Amino acid sequence: MNWRESRWTGVAFLILLALLWEAAGRGGWVHKLLFPPASAILSTFWDLLLSGEILRQLGVSLWRAAMGYALAAVVAVALGVAMGYWRRIYEACEILIELLRAVPPPAVIPLAMVFLGIGDALKVFIIFFACFFPILINTIDGVRGADPVLIRTARTFGLSRLQTVWKVILPVAGPSIMTGLRIATAIALILTVISEMIGATSGIGYFILGSQRTLNITQMYAGILMLALTGYAINRAFLLVDARLMAWHKGLTRRGE
Amino acid sequence: MRRVPWSGLAVLAAFVIVWEAWARTRGELAAFFPPASRVLATLWQLLASGELAEHTLATLRRFAQGYALAAALSVGAGLCLGLWRPLYNLLEPLIELLRPMPSPATIPIAILFLGIGDEMKVAVTVYACSWPILLNTIDGVRSVDRVLFATAATFRLTPWARFWKVVLPAASPQIVTGLRVSLAIALILVVTSEMVVSNDGLGYYVLESQRTFQMPQMYAAVVALGMIGYVLNRLFLALDTWAMAWHKGLTRREDL
Repeated sequence: MNWRESRWTGVAFLILLALLWEAAGRGGWVHKLLFPPASAILSTFWDLLLSGEILRQLGVSLWRAAMGYALAAVVAVALGVAMGYWRRIYEACEILIELLRAVPPPAVIPLAMVFLGIGDALKVFIIFFACFFPILINTIDGVRGADPVLIRTARTFGLSRLQTVWKVILPVAGPSIMTGLRIATAIALILTVISEMIGATSGIGYFILGSQRTLNITQMYAGILMLALTGYAINRAFLLVDARLMAWHKGLTRRGE
Repeated sequence: MRRVPWSGLAVLAAFVIVWEAWARTRGELAAFFPPASRVLATLWQLLASGELAEHTLATLRRFAQGYALAAALSVGAGLCLGLWRPLYNLLEPLIELLRPMPSPATIPIAILFLGIGDEMKVAVTVYACSWPILLNTIDGVRSVDRVLFATAATFRLTPWARFWKVVLPAASPQIVTGLRVSLAIALILVVTSEMVVSNDGLGYYVLESQRTFQMPQMYAAVVALGMIGYVLNRLFLALDTWAMAWHKGLTRREDL
């Protein structure tokens, strides 16, 4: 295997970047306040981790994200199945949804703040609002894509409409719904950070922006590092769950190489 | 011709009427829940006086700059990464590391390096909407049918011709997908960065109206943002249909 195929070049490149960063910080090529050396950030990160401070902030954020996400998943999948299956419901809801979907979620924050204050309810609502539409649209798409023959077969075999939805439509729409859910995990984290930057007194988004405003720059980078690791972990975890849940689908649609 | 979606319009009308009635009958809500008619009247006033136009233009300018820059950079980089494996191997771990980070986290860094002006907002927007475009472009180039390459080689197309006539058209549907996802992301990041620190733009205006208790103005600006999002989306779909007509013609299935 020569270097062209090797995946290690990428890892080597990362290490090189980290070394350059370190050298830039130490050698004074860049402003030390704005761009502290990598080692300083890592050691701050470690201290914050040991003191539990950063984990506490992260825990608050993740709790909000999970609540909003779960709520959106349940409501959006239910409505999506209904809209995908029954044409009339789709037609009734389409315009309103198209209009609401177009509003950038951060713009809803001040509006929701008026009703919900700046507590957890606000963040949960904003995360719900932002995650709702990708899950909904993908669910509708998945249900629509279900082969009509499958549905007619199920009906012929005497399955009720509810049973048809449960046994045929949900599994068939599964991969598409999972796509929506995966997009929504990233969006949930983004909106958590945004809502905590705009109106909050706790959470990782507040922690990062607060560190920047008090010019505690190493701490800011440590917070961002924590957030990056969290995003990575969530993505990985989702892929694992997806592989588990959708194993039957991948088995069915795999092509012989 | 499409038939008029009466039921959808009815639901929309019901939504507005319930809003109006609810806000009117509950006097104690008046301070922060103005009726729909008042919001629309305020929107009209703000439009007529030009107050909203100034903020809208600032937002749209940042949006356009950030989106265009991201599209140019990411499609270019994506094509290179998709075509040249060693480069992809070199950068993949870095991409995998940066991509899952929630993009608003870059706002504080951008403020440090670029200040609180337009550069910061455009940079954050570019960063955030680069990822979907980049990854979709790489994927699109990768999934170009091998037979197409072989055919192009058989016809002795020059590398340049191969790129323009084979790779780019074959990858374009997926590039367009990335561009569409980024459209919404760009608007989100512009609005967010305007909320965090700015003195103009619709994001600033919404938050400022709320903080000064000018509720009708706040609602009007949110409605305006929704309209902008809606129009941008429609525009994109129209462009997509026009530019990709050849592709849809090729891959259309007979409807059952």
